[in-house]
Amino acid sequence: MAERDQPLDEPAVRFDRVSLTYGPEADVLADVSLQLKPGSMTFLTGPSGAGKSTLLKMTYLALRPSTGRVSLFGIDTGKLNRPTAARLRRRIGVVFQEFRLLDHLTAYENVALPLRVAGDNEKRYRGDVIDLLKWVGLGDRLDARPATLSGGEKQRVAIARAVVVKPDLIIADEPTGNVDEEMGDRLLRLFRELNKRLNTTLLIATHDLNMVRKAKADVLRLADGMVVRQPAPPPEPKVTPA
Amino acid sequence: MKMRSSVSPLLPREDAREAALFFVVCALCFLAALSGLVARSAYAAADSWTDQVTGQITIRVRGTDADTSKAVELVKQTSGIVSASALTREEAEDLLRPWLGASGVPADLPLPHLIAAEAAPGVTGIGEALTAKLSAADLDVTVDDHVVWSTDVKRATDSAGLVALIAVGLLGATAIAVIAFATHATLLARRDMVELLHLTGAKDSFISSLFEHRFLMLGVQAGALGALLAFGAAAFILFVVKQSDQNIWLLPQLSLSLADGLILGLAPLVAGVAAMFAAKVTVMRSLSDML
Repeated sequence: MAERDQPLDEPAVRFDRVSLTYGPEADVLADVSLQLKPGSMTFLTGPSGAGKSTLLKMTYLALRPSTGRVSLFGIDTGKLNRPTAARLRRRIGVVFQEFRLLDHLTAYENVALPLRVAGDNEKRYRGDVIDLLKWVGLGDRLDARPATLSGGEKQRVAIARAVVVKPDLIIADEPTGNVDEEMGDRLLRLFRELNKRLNTTLLIATHDLNMVRKAKADVLRLADGMVVRQPAPPPEPKVTPA
Repeated sequence: MKMRSSVSPLLPREDAREAALFFVVCALCFLAALSGLVARSAYAAADSWTDQVTGQITIRVRGTDADTSKAVELVKQTSGIVSASALTREEAEDLLRPWLGASGVPADLPLPHLIAAEAAPGVTGIGEALTAKLSAADLDVTVDDHVVWSTDVKRATDSAGLVALIAVGLLGATAIAVIAFATHATLLARRDMVELLHLTGAKDSFISSLFEHRFLMLGVQAGALGALLAFGAAAFILFVVKQSDQNIWLLPQLSLSLADGLILGLAPLVAGVAAMFAAKVTVMRSLSDML
């Protein structure tokens, strides 16, 4: 488990007047301010091209804002030296939209990657990784390489990799985009479990309103580079046969 | 549950590209090791030739046998001279045999009166001192202490050695540049993987170590093969020289001595360390572009 040295009153994620500009007139994000409390679960919605992935990239330290400040666990990410940034990244689990699995590694090795990077001993984490893969329904695909996995299976490996270190913050970009409803429900339960048991903060970008409804979590809507906090969408009315 | 017991390396093998790089590094190491052997031979030849003539003085006396005997006595009394003796006719004929052939010197051919003297080690300016002393005694002599000749020989062999050392340096620099280029190409090909490791919290040193280890092994293996080929080439040259039964000016110095073994043994290590260093610098520079 990564170190948890965050002051109790500090937001897990904080954007202060953050903007990102490509070229003179292309604002991807404009003056965005937001805060995510530690242990909160937040969905980020909005139309395609609204800047959801950009906002997530800034949160997992892959992009730097043009102006403004991004803080994680009370740490200003603009002032990090490289070793500190690496340590901070280990507190974040990311589910990438395009999975980003390593083709030459097996499903097991892909999930174990963050533990390997952190220098953990394989004998210690082996059982946990296998259990996690079983939990996401891939107990019989441990040795399978990504090329032989379906889109949904790749998605589940990517999710298992993001949660294997029990991070303080999980950032997921369309985590249920390639899985069926039943698997989507299981993944949502996994996210909730991490959220409740380990106080993990979750930021999930999604188009899946059904998932948002079921989760009953905070919703941020991103449109035209601006973020607006919204209430959770009402439950879908049950259709009864006439 | 059955599972593979070994864990895959994080940096995958790239057979075609690495085979080409292996060949290039191997060829460069072969040339560098061979140049190293040539440089050592040149310096050894210089030392050998100058050691042989240092302190040796030849005095030619134009006069009678009595003049020669007088000159020998005067030379022996000179400070810094260890020994001096007049060459007999047979000894003088031996010196001339390479030019006049095995049939010998005609009996009626007048031969110069020669004195062979040896100066103590470290004594300088003895040639001028002897010339002055013998001339003062009314003797017509030419003193040759071989200084001019040995200086020329040393200058020539030192130059050859220096050229060989420059070749070693250039080949080494080329190998480093090739490996840096190959590392950069591997980094570009594996950018997704490097980015993922970076975003997963891998330190720069961790990512760099993957490439360092890969190129260290490649450098050591390619260097070892290159050194082995250089050994084979040197042994072949030695064999050819010995077969020819001729004294060739520089080649007899190209023996496979302990120093040559050291050069050949160090080549893989130097290649490995240089490859590792090139990879490290390239990776760290590329990573510094990432946040």
